[in-house]
Amino acid sequence: MAIMMPASDQAVLARRAEIIAALRAIVPGEGVIDSAAEMRAYESDGLTAYRQPPMVVVLPDTTEQVSLVLKYCAAHGIKVVPRGSGTSLSGGALPLEDGVLLGLGKFKRIREIDFDNRVVVTEPGVTNLAISQAVAHAGFYYAPDPSSQIACSIGGNVAENSGGVHCLKYGMTTNNVLGCEIVLMSGEILRIGGKGCENSGYDLMGVITGSEGLLGVITEITVRILQKPETARALMVGFAEVEAAGECVARIIGAGIIPGGMEMMDKPAIHAAEAFVHAGYPLDVEALLIIELDGPKIEVDELITRVETIANGCGSTTCQISTSEAERNLFWAGRKAAFPAVGRISPDYLCMDGTIPRGALPKALARIRELGEKYQLGCANVFHAGDGNLHPLILYDANKPGEIERAEAFGADILRACVEFGGVLTGEHGVGIEKRDLMPDMFSEIDLNQQQRLKCAFDAQGLLNPGKVFPTLHRCAELGRMHVHAGKVAFPDIPRF
Amino acid sequence: MDTLKVRDAKDVEEVVRAAIANEQPLEIVGHGSKRSIGHAMATNAVLDISALNAVTSYEPNELIITLQAGAPLEDVLSLIDAKTQQFAFEPMNTAPLLGTPAVGTIGGMIAAGLAGPRRIKVGGARDHLLGAHAVSGFGDSFKTGGKVVKNVTGYDLCKLLAGSWGTLSVMTEVTLKVMPKPEAERTLLLRGLDDAAANKAMTAALGSPFDVSAAAHLPKSAFRANTDGLGDIAGQGEALTVLRLEGITASARHRAGSLRELLAPFGTATLIEDAASSGLWTTIRDVLPFAAGGALGAWPVWRIVCPPASGAALGTQLARETGGDVIYDWGGGLIWAALPPKADAHAPAVRAGANAAGGHATLIRAGEDVRRAVDVFHPQAPGIAALSERVRASFDPKSILNRGRLIRGTAV
Repeated sequence: MAIMMPASDQAVLARRAEIIAALRAIVPGEGVIDSAAEMRAYESDGLTAYRQPPMVVVLPDTTEQVSLVLKYCAAHGIKVVPRGSGTSLSGGALPLEDGVLLGLGKFKRIREIDFDNRVVVTEPGVTNLAISQAVAHAGFYYAPDPSSQIACSIGGNVAENSGGVHCLKYGMTTNNVLGCEIVLMSGEILRIGGKGCENSGYDLMGVITGSEGLLGVITEITVRILQKPETARALMVGFAEVEAAGECVARIIGAGIIPGGMEMMDKPAIHAAEAFVHAGYPLDVEALLIIELDGPKIEVDELITRVETIANGCGSTTCQISTSEAERNLFWAGRKAAFPAVGRISPDYLCMDGTIPRGALPKALARIRELGEKYQLGCANVFHAGDGNLHPLILYDANKPGEIERAEAFGADILRACVEFGGVLTGEHGVGIEKRDLMPDMFSEIDLNQQQRLKCAFDAQGLLNPGKVFPTLHRCAELGRMHVHAGKVAFPDIPRF
Repeated sequence: MDTLKVRDAKDVEEVVRAAIANEQPLEIVGHGSKRSIGHAMATNAVLDISALNAVTSYEPNELIITLQAGAPLEDVLSLIDAKTQQFAFEPMNTAPLLGTPAVGTIGGMIAAGLAGPRRIKVGGARDHLLGAHAVSGFGDSFKTGGKVVKNVTGYDLCKLLAGSWGTLSVMTEVTLKVMPKPEAERTLLLRGLDDAAANKAMTAALGSPFDVSAAAHLPKSAFRANTDGLGDIAGQGEALTVLRLEGITASARHRAGSLRELLAPFGTATLIEDAASSGLWTTIRDVLPFAAGGALGAWPVWRIVCPPASGAALGTQLARETGGDVIYDWGGGLIWAALPPKADAHAPAVRAGANAAGGHATLIRAGEDVRRAVDVFHPQAPGIAALSERVRASFDPKSILNRGRLIRGTAV
């Protein structure tokens, strides 16, 4: 394992039997899993290159049980790793050898659907898609749609601040969550927010969202739901050059059009997808844009025409417009199957997730090509073009000695390039363990210390999901120490009036 | 009182470090437009960021603008308006309500986080702040977020800075999302509805597929004081329920037609367009019926956020109990209440009502004596209050920044 996790606490491991017994007293029956064979299902999440069986798995089904488990672990200095559906692509739910894996899978009830206030109150183990399905009969849906939406849990979505194809227009998880019930590492149960548009005081919901399971364990979530757009149509536009496709994206946004989704694929991704799903993608283009407009039919029809004109003005070589739902779905089929499609042409792949300013796309793709030559590895690119979120898929073969290391080094260089071009390390998959050691490429020690101080406000012992997000762990007492800057005893020479 | 006018982030660091060394709390001020919101602070020095007023970069095609925190809001709005862009959350101009000459700065806009009518559709200041550079109460410059719209790298400290009223850090530079201005806007007007019926109409509209971008209700009493900005729309002074549709012209027109049909059970809606419509929404955004210069200028004003469908019941009850006036925005989820002068500004009634509805109330306008007697910001449950205090201390352990502004009795 290339990533170092916090050293295991041998004293805790020595007390494993006693700890399991205590947890069984809190969560009876099948809720505590300690056999090696059964725990294997929990040893990894969506970042399958990393595996670690936990000390024990606990699957509570009430908030009170979550509280008691955390309280017990806090009192005995035991680390806890929360887990939803285990679809994280950044290793956010990777277990610790000396840690309790706290699965929220039994929290799968929708507690309340309130159409008048346009919210759903749900337990965290409910899948993203199940929320939309529960309100579909009234024409509503939950907007964020990560591609794992059939499996990923809403609790995991909040932990990771998940995005999806439609977040350009409808926002990420953080823009669609109103409140939660959260259990702190101390066992304290808190309710934050509710059905109103905004909360009083500091926006705790805002900072909990995307905190990757380091601040608390969420046991209930209030999300807002929207009416489904009346209709959606898509354009599939091919370009002979990546630059032209990038220019097309910029001009669409510049014209004041915010599509429901705007995706780009490069040539290797187009070929892999077409071979897999036969969506009718043009194979002689360097870049393909799929642009979806949604809303009232009259609006969609007009915007389709405007986008087509812009695309032609950017030198598109092919342009197809969907005339039916079946055709629109076919356009998307290749994009949505891009990851498995790439899985067919390569024994293994790493999915990266950086964001760059849209305008930096051509130079980012050029850099990825250079790096591919340097590392002698192929790379297919799919790209949420509208918001600059890049997903390079690095192709490698884990059975060939040294390839995984080369692939990881390639990926790290891509993410460093994203930061260099004014972007960030991760747009929607999270830092987890995968990008943890790259954090200093984006943040200074002061920046990271401020973030870790916030962690101390929620979890002063640092027991909740340690080893994720931050490359270096500091004790809270050390972080809180005030360094009085010597010699500055009076206000300095600053203009006064 | 010392006023320290800083020129750059380095100055801010030095002032904060000196303040830490001297244990001398600072009041953070831009244009001072919102100084009267919150409790009196335990400060004897002012950190003035108004000279930190540059536009660092503006890239219309990236839908992003980076600004120093002291940049004047009005100037920035003109700048992005010239590219037919806007801050989609419609930041409120508090000057008319508070009776200040200044409109304020970008930093104040974020720190107060007061969003306008479009809040229900696009979110608030917190949803449009993408990144920030700030100086913490440790005297250190740090950054959070980035300059791209999609980013989950590290904790989202931007969310905490938005709405923190300057108590966590001194923001020096912020990156904000800008959005294209809609090509057209249409507003449907329903006249004569009582609050309960209006709430139902707004709920029906917001639950429709017609993409309503704002829904407000002005009860009849809202017009007795002031009809600024309403012009002919005020009509005979009947209650007015208003619903906004925005987008490309054909779409806004089409949806207005469909919504009108949907709302037929509530009456026959009339339509206003573009300039008339935007004037009306500015009136609502800035709560002009309760303006400081108007007949209710001496009345305390509350801002109550609650579940939208509960708005009318709460607002009606408050108006009846206190003899005050209310205005509803956010489909009922935001109530502005101007209540007759009283030493406690009717706080017990307001807070009990807000609590019962699952909401919270902020005393936006009141004299200093009232703010000494009453909590300006909604008192929190003990666990949340304790966590919030730990969060505050994680940024500013010595409480150097705006000490005492948020919580009554902590300005010591």
